[in-house]
Amino acid sequence: MKNFVELLAAWALFHESADEGWKAAVARGREQTPGAMNEGPEAFVEGLAALVDEEKERLKQRLADGSTTPDGDSPIDLAEQVERLGFEIAELRGRMESLQASIDGIADRLQR
Amino acid sequence: MASPTAFSAEVAAGRGRRIAVRAAGSLLGAVWRCRFGWVGGQRRREILAEQARVFCERMGSSFIKLGQLASVRPDVFAPETIFELERLQDRVAPVPTARIRAAIARELGADADSVFADFEDQPLAAASVAQVHRARLRRAYRPVSGPVLPAGTRVAVKVLRPGIEAEIAADLALGRRWAARLNRFGRLARWRPVELLEEFAGMLARELDLRNEGRIADRFARDFQDDPLVRVPKVVWRHSTRRVLVSEHVEGWRLNELGPAERAGIDARALAVHGADVFMRQVLVLGYFHADLHPANLFVTPQGQLCFLDFGIVGTTTHAQRGAIAQVLAGLVYGDSARALRYSRALGLDIPDSQVEPVRRHIERLVHDHLLVPDTADVRGFALAFLSMLADYRIRIPAGYGLLIKALVTVEGVSHAIYPDLDLMTAARPFATRLIAEQLMRPERLRRRLAAARTAALEELLA
Repeated sequence: MKNFVELLAAWALFHESADEGWKAAVARGREQTPGAMNEGPEAFVEGLAALVDEEKERLKQRLADGSTTPDGDSPIDLAEQVERLGFEIAELRGRMESLQASIDGIADRLQR
Repeated sequence: MASPTAFSAEVAAGRGRRIAVRAAGSLLGAVWRCRFGWVGGQRRREILAEQARVFCERMGSSFIKLGQLASVRPDVFAPETIFELERLQDRVAPVPTARIRAAIARELGADADSVFADFEDQPLAAASVAQVHRARLRRAYRPVSGPVLPAGTRVAVKVLRPGIEAEIAADLALGRRWAARLNRFGRLARWRPVELLEEFAGMLARELDLRNEGRIADRFARDFQDDPLVRVPKVVWRHSTRRVLVSEHVEGWRLNELGPAERAGIDARALAVHGADVFMRQVLVLGYFHADLHPANLFVTPQGQLCFLDFGIVGTTTHAQRGAIAQVLAGLVYGDSARALRYSRALGLDIPDSQVEPVRRHIERLVHDHLLVPDTADVRGFALAFLSMLADYRIRIPAGYGLLIKALVTVEGVSHAIYPDLDLMTAARPFATRLIAEQLMRPERLRRRLAAARTAALEELLA
């Protein structure tokens, strides 16, 4: 390669082709119809590319949210924890309400 | 005058005699229909299974329930039996409403008309263990998850049939005596009648406490709250006890009522595929699954949602099992019998080394004959042949593995009820691909395999 600019152009072309190839693989992976795996390992790689792309989008979203706290818990993780605890408390409330209903029934029988 | 103990012993003896007479009658009927053993093996098993189903239906609630529990145990019973017991008609004559009202008053300490705004005397359903009536909430209620149910919301009031617990306890006591006798016979002892009956007793006890069902429904609703196509009726705990379960009443069509007109209003194919995905998510991601899906427990709402009911029988999977199940499914879906077999062994299918290769060849043939037939994959046919093959090789099936196979067959039935032309194997492929890819890319797996991969790469480079 005599010309340095030509070298850079080849390098840019290589990346552009790879990028286009990647985007095409992601698109094919997303549209993969049921049974596409019969077509061989390429279909698997395309499915995988779509999976990786989805994860990349989620990562971008997390970074855009501004989101990791110094101790490593992102607001999304914390929100999940709050939701889980909220559900457990609601479950406990349900149990207590059910117990109260049973107690009311027994108390009523005692009074009769 | 006879003492109560003597009286109940007498009643039990009478019931025991009736059961014995009916059982003997059914057995004789089966022998006659089998032409004293002249009919072939499979047909003979089918006849016996049919007689067993009819016997359970005639003997009433506890036997119907017992039959239903047996129908999810392919590890114990022949495949023909479990698929026949699946057809058990769980419809019995309704209990008079006055008795149901009395049961509600006893459980909740107030009569049905003061608890609910509008309690309907006409039952919505009458099954072996419980009866369901429609009503309306008198006051608004905040369920465990989801929005508040306003006053006037339609609810389904499920009430245990009065006396059912005593009836089942009496039948179980008789069963224990007979199981102990059967245990003395060598050939029958290998069925472990005593342990089996105790297992069934445990399952029945769980089903007879309606709160268990409510708790699982709540968890299921929470785990699928991100899925707009899944609906689970919310439980009204304020009016629920061990014997009464009140939950939101959801309108819809049962799967056997779904005709072309109903299908026209919804995207039936997408819903059928989604139904299979929901099942996969239960088994492979959440670690528990509805193991008693049948047309009465699942219906389609006019909004095109799948509504799940009756979480009486639930299977569970551990983290390690989930990985292996994913591999077995991928093996079946892609026709890789060696993979399916390897991970089936990891799930506890105890195959002696000497039998591995013949069993693998057999599975390969079954997969090609039943599952990889374009557009006509037949999971049920595969399961039937697979379980028969295991029985032929005298390979013991772990309970969880059997339950899973049965559940897969049910999912195929459910999907076909929604969209008859669905090929479940084809529909499952994208899910299986994703699952395997996710497993392959797990950091801990990559870390584990990195050293070996580095060594292999170096060897290749330096060769």
